[in-house]
Amino acid sequence: MNHSPAPTALIADDERLMREQITARLKEAWPELIIVGEAANGREAVAMARSQEPDIVFLDIRMPEMDGIQAAKALAGQAHVVFVTAYDQYAITAFEQGAVDYLLKPADPERVALTCQRLRERLTQKPDPMEGLLAQLSQRLGGGMELKPREYLRWVQASVGNSIRMIPTSDILFFRAEDKYTRVQTESFEALIRKPIKELVDELDPDEFWQIHRAILVRIEAVEQVSRDFRGQQIVHVKGSSETLEVSRSFSHLFKQM
Amino acid sequence: MQDDQTTPYEQRSETRKKPISMQQSDTKQTLREIGDAIVVLWWRFFDWLAVVPWKTLMIVSFLGMMLAGMMNSPEPMIMLIVASCIIKVVAGGKRSAELTASRATERAETEQLERTVLEARMEALQAQIEPHFLFNTLASIDQLIQTDPPRASKMQQSLIRYLRSAMPQMREGGRPSLGQQVSLSSAFLEIMAVRMEERLQPKVNVPEGLKSAVFPSMMLQTLVENAIKHGLEPKAEGGRLEISAEIIDGKLAVHVLDTGMGFVPKSGGGVGLANIRERLKVLYNGRAELIISVPPEGGTLATIQVPYEVIPAKP
Repeated sequence: MNHSPAPTALIADDERLMREQITARLKEAWPELIIVGEAANGREAVAMARSQEPDIVFLDIRMPEMDGIQAAKALAGQAHVVFVTAYDQYAITAFEQGAVDYLLKPADPERVALTCQRLRERLTQKPDPMEGLLAQLSQRLGGGMELKPREYLRWVQASVGNSIRMIPTSDILFFRAEDKYTRVQTESFEALIRKPIKELVDELDPDEFWQIHRAILVRIEAVEQVSRDFRGQQIVHVKGSSETLEVSRSFSHLFKQM
Repeated sequence: MQDDQTTPYEQRSETRKKPISMQQSDTKQTLREIGDAIVVLWWRFFDWLAVVPWKTLMIVSFLGMMLAGMMNSPEPMIMLIVASCIIKVVAGGKRSAELTASRATERAETEQLERTVLEARMEALQAQIEPHFLFNTLASIDQLIQTDPPRASKMQQSLIRYLRSAMPQMREGGRPSLGQQVSLSSAFLEIMAVRMEERLQPKVNVPEGLKSAVFPSMMLQTLVENAIKHGLEPKAEGGRLEISAEIIDGKLAVHVLDTGMGFVPKSGGGVGLANIRERLKVLYNGRAELIISVPPEGGTLATIQVPYEVIPAKP
């Protein structure tokens, strides 16, 4: 350790008190360690780490902009990573199995000393790329968006009176195209949105809303009954509205008798 | 009527199995049991008669007549059928209404009970204290003890105040007031303000006069936690959070406004909001609602409207 330059570290946490705490504990446990920077979010941490090239990065898991897992992905192989968390049961289990170290908040001096001891030994080696662990963590903690199942629209933003409301899809009886707009009908009010039916069809959950006509999407659970008019055309009646909805021929198979 | 005949036979076979010495003392008891059984069966027959459709009664009568005809003694059967018809006409309607009513009452009672249980369960769900919040707060207090003990003490007081009202088993009985709910969320905001520093600017603007209004527990707190977790914490520079309350058209409206990230239409909206909506439905049956809107300056405005009702003052 004497011939090599003093080791350096970067601390990232969105709460200043927590950054102070880690800094203070590290000073006690490892006086030679130089803290080259403190970051308040993941993005800052990655930028600082790239310019300062610290040997070690302490990363809080939950941070704005970019979380600790994503930051670790960006820095994998460049620095030794120590994760810091107050409570993330799943992550702790993952760390215990892997080679990457972690600290729990509030940082216990003895535990910090142990981490420093391990880091001193590891500094002679190349930083672990942490591939398996990070893939596992981002899947479970939502760090990586690419693995998430498809998300459907659960809220529709619409003007009601002079305010913009977020209407939960579970309140909507049906959507109906009207000229340039699409009308959103709930039990208690109606609103207009600009999104056309054909875009809504793609964004809404197909198990929640059915298209029954080129211009109409109905929430299945709101359907009260389906009748036929004198011409034999299917008519959908919905709960909470007296308006009836016609089913066009190409969608009539949806309500075939069982 | 056949039932009436089988019962005594069964009773007899019962007694036959018993030791002879006991038979004597049991006779009285047995007679009473037979009597009770006949009464029960009579009422069961009566109930059946009251609710059975006329068509079924006619078919049964016809079969009875055939049977009686084969046995060459139709008179008692004719008597029975005539009596049954008279009973059905005279008392059937009343009895059947009674039965329907008692069944409806039973159902209503079960429904009410189910609602109460459901609401209690949903409230407990909503009242869960996030371990992440608790451990982070304790870590902050730990740090402040070393650097700024008076502030550490103040933060700890806020935490105690928060826990006292947030823990279901520590909550006071009776109907929760808006005042209690605001004080719980204020304690939470004080803690978060110490932790987030300039990234959180909280403001509570609830008129003193509205604090005695009835307001369901943990709903305001869920909105406040959402505003921080999804609105302000993910935003690097943070922002404002304001709790306010007013009366609109005779309804109590409680608002939580934040200038954070804004609402994401594809995020399932969180279990918390769905839970509030469900609870409002159970508690107020359509007379209350949760409205999420987007203020012109961005961020999120969540409003809960409930019927305005004042908790009666304790004598």
